[in-house]
Parts: sequence; C-alpha cells; structure tokens
Amino acid sequence: MSCEQARLQIGADPTGSAAGLEEHLRGCTQCQQFREEMRTLDANIRRALEQPPGWVGTPRRTTTWRPWALAASVLLAMLAVLSVWLLRPSDTLAREIVAHVQQEPDSWLAQQHVDAQGINEALRGAGVSLDITSDRITYAQSCWFRDHYVPHLVVQTAQGPVTVMILRNQRVSGRRSFHEAGMNGVIVPAPQGSIAVLARGSADVGGTATQMQQDVHWLAGAR
Amino acid sequence: MRNSQTQSPVSSISERLSGADPRSSITQLFESMRPDLLRFAHWLARDRSLAEDIVQESLLRAWRSRDTLKDRGAARAWLLTIVRREHARLYERKRLELVSLDEALEGQTAAKAPEPDADLFTLRNAIMRLPIEYREPLVLQILGGFSTEEIAGELALSSTAVLTRLFRARNKLRAICGMTPAPDVSPSEAAP
Repeated sequence: MSCEQARLQIGADPTGSAAGLEEHLRGCTQCQQFREEMRTLDANIRRALEQPPGWVGTPRRTTTWRPWALAASVLLAMLAVLSVWLLRPSDTLAREIVAHVQQEPDSWLAQQHVDAQGINEALRGAGVSLDITSDRITYAQSCWFRDHYVPHLVVQTAQGPVTVMILRNQRVSGRRSFHEAGMNGVIVPAPQGSIAVLARGSADVGGTATQMQQDVHWLAGAR
Repeated sequence: MRNSQTQSPVSSISERLSGADPRSSITQLFESMRPDLLRFAHWLARDRSLAEDIVQESLLRAWRSRDTLKDRGAARAWLLTIVRREHARLYERKRLELVSLDEALEGQTAAKAPEPDADLFTLRNAIMRLPIEYREPLVLQILGGFSTEEIAGELALSSTAVLTRLFRARNKLRAICGMTPAPDVSPSEAAP
C-alpha cells in the first residue's frame, strides 16, 4: 500500500484499521502522524456535528416522565403568569432577547462575513429584506424566538460587533433602552413589529437601531 | 410547516402515545428519533426551519410506510434515509440552487481562538460551507453511522468515489483548522 492509498483510507475513515493499512503504518511514521491528526480532527468534527450553527435548545422530545413534565409545565405556567404580572412587556422582551443572545455566545466571535445566500436564508423566514452590504455581517441565523423565526444578525461597527434581531411579530409602543447582563440595548418600533439592537461595551446601539429602521424592508404578504 | 394535516399521526403524536394501540409504539419510536433526524436534516439543508419541514414530511412518509419496516432495530437508518431523500426531493421540487462554496474554502485558515470553543465554531461553519457532495457523505458517516458501502448505495456512487469524497471533506476541514492538507488523491469519482 502506498502513502497516497493509506492517506485516502485514513481520510475517508480515521477510525478504520484494515490489515493492509496497519501494515503500512508500522513502517511509515508520517502516515502514523497523519492518522493521529485525523483522529483528533474527527473527534472535533463529531462534536461540531452534534450542534449545528444557530442550534438553540433541543427539539421536542418524548420522555417517560410525563407526570413530572406535566407538573413542571404547570409550575412554569404559574411562573410565566407571575412574570407577566410583574414585568412590563417590553422589559420581558428585552430580557428574552438578552437571554437568547447569551445562548449564542459564538455569534460575536465570527470574523468572516456571511455570504449573500446565508443572509437571505436568515431573512427569508421573517419576510424582510435588508439594505446593507454583506461584508459588514459576520453572523446571520434564523432563530426560533417567541414562536416565530426571526433573523439574528451580527453587524460589525467601528465600536465592535452589534447584534440585531428583526422581530416581525413583536410590537412595541416606543423606543426603549435597556441594560441587562452587561449588555446595552434598544428596542425600536418598526412598521411590522420591532427591531432590537444590543451590544457589549460602548457600541452605538441607538445609531445602529436608527440605521436599521431605514435599512430593513418589510415585505408585503409575509406572516 | 408543509403538509401539516390535522389528522396526521405525527402531528398529533402526543395524543397517541398512551394506550395499547400497537401503532403507538412505532409512533413513539419515530418520535424518539426526531432530535437526531432534525440535526441530520439541519446539516443537509443548512436551515433550521427547512430542516423541521423535511423531518415532518419524512415522519409522515415513514408513518405511511411503517409496514415495510420489518426490523425496528434498523429504524434509525431507515428514517435517516427517508430524511435524506426528502431533502433531495425538496430541492428538486423547489429547484433550489445548490451553491458550491468549495472555492471559498480554499486557503481559509483557522480564526484566532479568543475562547476555547472558537475552534469548534469555526469547524461548524466550515462544515456548513462544505459543498453538498462532500457534506452529505460526511454527515451520513458520522451522524448516521453509515458504512462506506451503505453511503455508496444511498448516493448511487462507487465505494471509491465515496472514499474520495470523505477524504476530501476531511482534508478541507483539516486545512481550515490550520493543519497541512494532504496531497489530493487521484480523481476517481465515477458513478458505477
């Protein structure tokens, strides 16, 4: 077996251990090293595949703990009612937005811009289009938020990355700023819902929100 | 959701789990695999909402064809196959363009790692950007647990072609992760 054949087999299945391959590896340290590297890489690929990008939470799962689930549901419902009573709607919305962003900490680490197809995929579910050059967007996902898919974008600004969530179904009565968990944010009304902008540090979320009010176009006929 | 039917055995699945109805156990079996199916569909479709549509439609198809599943131990592979075919059908129906991002991946290097999971984040995005001809066999192998021969049968390719695609998929990811890629293998991807 040649090195090329050995590397083809290793690359195709790093966990494989065919007799011919093992025989080659006994006499070839370079291919041995290649296999070790590929096995490490494969373990990381496996970890990566367990959670696709933008994967927040796990889908509905049937369990055998139905009574417990029912009791927990009742408790959660009571807590939800209490929360609604205690918190004004916009406060609740802001907290949920912050919680959502905290669940996707990787979103602010992206450094490469998302291509036009990626952006369109993120926007498609919400029925909006965007007038913004794609090289400023480093993260674009369609995220499940309050029973709807909403675009979750990260836009690069001079002061750093800023998260933008376009909330077609969340209406607010006016512009509202918030500070939560080390993040500054603002929720602004929009023709078909609202737009939330938040960032860590000193990024100009207000200016970005005003800009997004102009850049987001709400397509007619979308839900 | 496409094709949501009020009487669908899948959409009303929770109501069917109790009782001695023999259909409930197969429904429960299918439903227990929904997370795996959704994850698999997401990697194929690269979109969560599309993936959910695909899985829903696949579970409906599986329910209608449940009598053909003789061995319940093979249910997972059977369902993954249905999901894969439903994904392919979706693209045929909608005539969605499969955009090759192969060129864009060339020369990419790993991003600096400001946090421990940054490498994993880079890897996830790199896998997402793999062209479907490389991404699909890789996902079938790692998430689906399919052998090379099974993937070859599924994709109507020769085993050699599958080996080549799996090699190239990992070799691209290897380069993106900052490791020296191995020299490419001789092109031998010919359908049987």
